[in-house]
Amino acid sequence: MEYLALIYADEGGWELLTDAERRSAYEQYGEFSEAARAAGVLVGGNELAATATATTVRVREHERLVSDGPYAEVKEALGGYFILDCASFDDALAWAARIPAAAHGAVEVRPVHVDEEA
Amino acid sequence: MQYALLIYGDQSAWAELDDDGAARLRAESMPRWLALFEEMAKADPAVAGRELVAASEAKVVRVIDGERVVTDGPFAETKEQIGGLFVTTLPDLDEAIRIAALIPTAETGSLEIRPIVER
Repeated sequence: MEYLALIYADEGGWELLTDAERRSAYEQYGEFSEAARAAGVLVGGNELAATATATTVRVREHERLVSDGPYAEVKEALGGYFILDCASFDDALAWAARIPAAAHGAVEVRPVHVDEEA
Repeated sequence: MQYALLIYGDQSAWAELDDDGAARLRAESMPRWLALFEEMAKADPAVAGRELVAASEAKVVRVIDGERVVTDGPFAETKEQIGGLFVTTLPDLDEAIRIAALIPTAETGSLEIRPIVER
């Protein structure tokens, strides 16, 4: 069963890191990805560009409303995600805890909807 | 450019429905979603998407001083919650906005477009 692990972290903190610290952070993500891939758990994942680059779109009364910025202005913003294929919610939580941001931000784990007719 | 289209919707309306009601609503909206999938596949045959179960079933994991701490419920206390996402490669932001506006949830909720970092 697939689970989406949504990674929330303080974007301001990332901006303050030195190049060496960022390299180290990317290495930690590389190690997580490698471990999850080796275990057959990793389905996919992406890093999202900073919320400053976000665009929000709504349609109301057939009018398109476009605004700059993310849906929610929060201190810890959604910065990326992994899709994990795990046997149980507990397994997904155990893998999510190994995502580096779990130690300084938060990782939200959501089961992926499976269409019963599909 | 690769974009993530994050679908934010108010899930409280769904929470009040029983299984039959939810199935009916899903069936009613299905033709519009199928038309959307067709349009999205025209723009990017490799488009991928995931629908999530209700945010009320979310759990949040943090590691504090080496200890795993799990809490029930979604991370953000917002009225609208992420209900799914698409990842698609499109020529530019204008095209991403056009596609986002076709997603049925744009009429009741919000679509957030985020470029994906390619390294």
